[in-house]
Amino acid sequence: MQNENPIREHELMVTRRQLFGRAALGLGTAALGQLMAQESHGARRGVLPATHHAPTAKRVIYLFMSGGPSHLDLWDYKPGLTKKFNQQLPPEVRNGQRVTGMTANQKSGLPICPTKYRFTKHDNNDRGLWVSELLPHMASVAKDICVTYSTFTEAINHDPAITYIQTGSQIPGRPSLGAWLSYGLGSMNENLPHYVVMHARTNHPEQSLFNRLWGPGFLPSDHQGMLMRSQGDPVLYLSNPAGVSSSDRRVQLDALAALNNEQYKRFADPEIVARIRQHEMAYRMQTSVPELMDLSSETKETFDLYGDDAKTPGTFAACCLNARRLAERGVRNIQIFHRGWDAHGGLPREHGSQCKDIDQGSAALIRDLKQRGMLEDTLVVWGGEFGRTVYCQGNLTKENYGRDHHPRCFTTWMAGGGIKPGITYGHTDEYGYNIADSDGVPLNPQPSKETRTPGTMHIHDLNATILHLLGIDHKRLTFRYQGRDFRLTDVHGHVIHDVIA
Amino acid sequence: MKCLHSSCCRVVTVSFTAVLIVAGINELKTAERQGDVASVDFARDVLPILSNKCFVCHGPDSNDEGQLRLDTVEAATEIRSGYQAINPKSPEQSELLARITSVEEPMPPADAEKQLTPAERDVLTRWVKQGGKYAMHWAFVPPQKASPPIDAPSIRNEIDSFLLIRMKQKNVSFAAEADRRTLARRVALTLTGLPPEPEQLERFLSDNRFDAYEKLVDELLDSPRYGEHQARYWLDAVRYGDTHGLHLDNRRGIYPYRDWVVRTLNRNLPLDQFITWQLAGDLLNDPTLEQRIATGYVRLNPSTGEGGAIPAEFQMKNNFDRVETLGTVFLGMSLTCARCHTHKYDPIPQTEYYRLLAFFNSTAEPSMDGNKYEYGPVARTPKDQVAWNEWSVLLKKRGSLIRQAYNQLEQNNSLEGKALSKWLESSDAERLTMLADPESAGSQFKLTEKAANLQSRIKKSEAAFTTTLVAQDLAKPRATHVLKRGEYNLPDGAPLHPGILKVMGNFPEEAPRNRLGLAQWLTSREHPLTSRVLINRVWQRVFGEGLVRTPEDFGLQGQQPTHPELLDWLAVELQDSGWNLKHMLKLMVTSRAFRQSSAWRDDVSDPENLLFARGAGFRLDAEVLRDIGLWASGLLDPAMGGEGVKPYQPGGMWKALAHPASNTKNYVADKGQLLYRRSLYVYWKRTSPHPMMTLFDAPDRESSCVRRSRTNTSLQSLGLLNETQRIEMARKLAERLLLNSNSDKARLDQLFELLASRQPGSMESRVCLGLLKNMKQRFSETPEDAMALLSQGEASRNDKLDPAELAAWTQVAVTVLASDVAILLY
Repeated sequence: MQNENPIREHELMVTRRQLFGRAALGLGTAALGQLMAQESHGARRGVLPATHHAPTAKRVIYLFMSGGPSHLDLWDYKPGLTKKFNQQLPPEVRNGQRVTGMTANQKSGLPICPTKYRFTKHDNNDRGLWVSELLPHMASVAKDICVTYSTFTEAINHDPAITYIQTGSQIPGRPSLGAWLSYGLGSMNENLPHYVVMHARTNHPEQSLFNRLWGPGFLPSDHQGMLMRSQGDPVLYLSNPAGVSSSDRRVQLDALAALNNEQYKRFADPEIVARIRQHEMAYRMQTSVPELMDLSSETKETFDLYGDDAKTPGTFAACCLNARRLAERGVRNIQIFHRGWDAHGGLPREHGSQCKDIDQGSAALIRDLKQRGMLEDTLVVWGGEFGRTVYCQGNLTKENYGRDHHPRCFTTWMAGGGIKPGITYGHTDEYGYNIADSDGVPLNPQPSKETRTPGTMHIHDLNATILHLLGIDHKRLTFRYQGRDFRLTDVHGHVIHDVIA
Repeated sequence: MKCLHSSCCRVVTVSFTAVLIVAGINELKTAERQGDVASVDFARDVLPILSNKCFVCHGPDSNDEGQLRLDTVEAATEIRSGYQAINPKSPEQSELLARITSVEEPMPPADAEKQLTPAERDVLTRWVKQGGKYAMHWAFVPPQKASPPIDAPSIRNEIDSFLLIRMKQKNVSFAAEADRRTLARRVALTLTGLPPEPEQLERFLSDNRFDAYEKLVDELLDSPRYGEHQARYWLDAVRYGDTHGLHLDNRRGIYPYRDWVVRTLNRNLPLDQFITWQLAGDLLNDPTLEQRIATGYVRLNPSTGEGGAIPAEFQMKNNFDRVETLGTVFLGMSLTCARCHTHKYDPIPQTEYYRLLAFFNSTAEPSMDGNKYEYGPVARTPKDQVAWNEWSVLLKKRGSLIRQAYNQLEQNNSLEGKALSKWLESSDAERLTMLADPESAGSQFKLTEKAANLQSRIKKSEAAFTTTLVAQDLAKPRATHVLKRGEYNLPDGAPLHPGILKVMGNFPEEAPRNRLGLAQWLTSREHPLTSRVLINRVWQRVFGEGLVRTPEDFGLQGQQPTHPELLDWLAVELQDSGWNLKHMLKLMVTSRAFRQSSAWRDDVSDPENLLFARGAGFRLDAEVLRDIGLWASGLLDPAMGGEGVKPYQPGGMWKALAHPASNTKNYVADKGQLLYRRSLYVYWKRTSPHPMMTLFDAPDRESSCVRRSRTNTSLQSLGLLNETQRIEMARKLAERLLLNSNSDKARLDQLFELLASRQPGSMESRVCLGLLKNMKQRFSETPEDAMALLSQGEASRNDKLDPAELAAWTQVAVTVLASDVAILLY
């Protein structure tokens, strides 16, 4: 958006003040109530008066696999590697790619490590989709998803890489994707927060998450994601203290509103009116959130779809089911973080368990959205911050191995919300090391964020595409901070129309 | 500050020469007198338009390929194949005029992201027609003190004069003064972050002398609570945290720096020294422990110990962070743009960015933190304020003992030769050892017993010391180069000497080319920004909003000050006063402007309070909200300093995020008094700060924050009404009310006295007593609910009080504590 008046644009507080402005002054209590009623009918608006173009997705569910899933063991089928077991990776393949400190000096060098898993080909709407035996359920939705083999990033360590894909910068301080959406589009409902984040349970809670991944950066902090937790209150401080009933709270809130109203009479600050409204929304949330978390109305068929795991709060499957319930209730922006994909050693054991966590839930989510007619306007995104190397880290046997971080190509998928169903996008070379042309020849020069290279998807492109599907031109959703009009995609990013229906 | 065009990321290597040379606003004023069109102020009216709409292609970084530049008068008036963008001799012939109105070849081009508005086109047109003169961006011209423009009975000090003149232009004047109670609450919260003590309030109200208010202000400025409150703002700006921030986000040992900030603000160390010690305390002559602790500033950047990370990359990332934080904190500017290429808007060449970086590139700590509490140079220091005081007393005693020895020495020359020179060369610690050693020459001073005793006490005290990260330079500096596109592995050109940003004045003559010289540059009188930027933030915390509403950006893209002469007057006054922060705060809070009622006015339409024609009104910060409750309930523990404290927090919040190897994955709440320390001391885990802090807009402290947002959310409502500590505070507050009086009316009066510094109004009384009645009945019918409510939090319950009544009052206290009566400044 244009910043004709950047003065207070990053203080929505004052924007609201301007909204109320003089209108709120000198009005009696009755008028005040009317004013509040008007505001509370529409849920909170975003900064964009309208989307930049007609959106194909109304909402997004982002399944984030933190740690870097192995594209080579899950999606990117490289049968030719079997013969190359334990051979050194030819230097020309690596071609200057930096290696992390963990494998830079290993005695075994960079030995090629074929996947131990069997891949089978499944019909999609294109030339078919190879899927590893680790993801049997996902294989069954091959016709619904668009798999990108050529996602890439520059960051090679977790913290910078996760921060990069979620905020557009490797260094902390920028708003997250979800905060940008909240800032741009606002909220579609008034009983639940607009941006919900869940942390799914894992047997391998390796690597850290950070508040910044759903944080507001320099945007007003009400754009931060709200954690929906599986331990204690699902929403922080949701429950009344012990000994206080809902009707007590009602009485208390009426008194609170009366006190605040007195304060308003003294000072006429419109912000006070807005706060009375927030207290009321909090009260409604105390009903709407438990109703949301109560799965008793879900059918047996639904649990068959998501699996028994979905009955255990905090599992990935339960989070997926919650995500669908949130989407139904008008929450625009839902993210599930699943940790434990950082398999430097013992990859089969760890990835086996990780895939078991996510496979059925992810596939069920797609099917469930589809059968409810919601997939067409719900975008589902799956991926991590980078991929894993074709060479082994640590001891290499045919049955057991580890893989280091690999930024140069990795696999992500999207579904619904205007994405072409049942296609694949991009190619990698025979090693799954470089982005390649359709004949498997590595692209030369290396793709970079600086220019658009057909057949590739830089993480900025991924974010630009997500915003596009939601009706936002990634170059025009900006926020002025320290003199610069910032955006999620920094000075980069291209919408990848090849994956859009 | 990178920019929106992808073209802006090319590397610009041309040397940067000119900066918006002053051509004289006076000439513009002449034009105004001569012409009949309103005159245009280049710096105020034109430059922001050029910067925002034109510099993306025609700005400081557009010097190659013959591209026209509009950021300097020379470039803009250059004769280019038959035309001049600005033709000063025949302004009507200026190409700029033609192009901004052209349909065929418009500027900005039709497809540009930012187009000119008609008003902007009009400003540019008038400017060119008036001669197209350039002037320096206001913030790069050192501030000068103008005389206060007017005098009037309503004026209390110079501040008011500068404000009133603008108000008069809008035909308004100051709002009525706030009543004394409201004023006392406001000033106490502003200076100390707590309401006035009831006795203090009483004393002020009954003091009829003309300077009663000034006395109250002095009292508040002298309170130790003052330093704690003011320190918070600084800690946000310098991104103080108790953990590394990246990857494992492990504990790091630097809290003595936080305590130093508190102590130093309380002592009112001049701000120029406050800055110098932090940037370069280690480089001062024979630095004291405090001067070394202060250099923790240099070590506050988030750091990583992630396996596989490349040290050379993080050496640079750490330095980027330091340079850019320096930019925000002292220069009020983002320098980030110049990391990769010459700044798009502000005249900062990439080379100068790396010269500035060179000041920090030779510190001795490793670039990777190893996930350790201590890494790189540390200082050993007392662990909290009590220990600090005790140790200081011991050092004073040591000093006086050594003075006694010196006196003896003067009288009888008792040491000679080697023994004398050893004595003279020694440190005080070594001298004490000599005095204490019965075998050494020092024994003849006959202070052996005293010295030995003192020495053992000092040793004992020092054995309990903790460590804190400090700055120290390598013996041999690292080479610093420009990095292409900011990539750590793409050095470009010859190594650079440390240097400053030329647009902000010269490097002081004879200053050393190290961090000490850097500090001298920042605090020199010629520096155009430091004093303005600092005083603007002080103003912001006192009046709710800055004079420059973008405290993080004084550059070309930032806001102009609402009152430029006032900002400059304050900046120079800060310097003239010897960088005296308490003096400046006192000026502000004793002004007529500060004393105004904060009620919105029917006669002034100014929702953003740009005129400052009403007092400040805003929701108080997270820390203050908690502190007020602790204070009112009597729970607040006044102890100062020490390792971060951990109040109640919902279970599993850290675990849900943390690496299994992290030593901050388990949050274990403290016990006893530590639960009730001021919020300043709450443990700051950067990847997951305390939720009651972040809920109310506290920053994560991973990057510099010079202005918090002030949001208003439903989640805040839940926090205010349900969080364990808030219930605990409320029930202890209820106990206090019940113990103090037997009448509900008197109890309610006390509640309002504490939280609002006034009696409740009749409606407020009715509402609260109604709630009380309702709750009393409710809890006497279900005593188990009363007991459940009264069991929240660790603090013991007074079992002499009737549980139903106590629970009912607890509900009243929770409600009033959550109401705008308590949570707002007004």
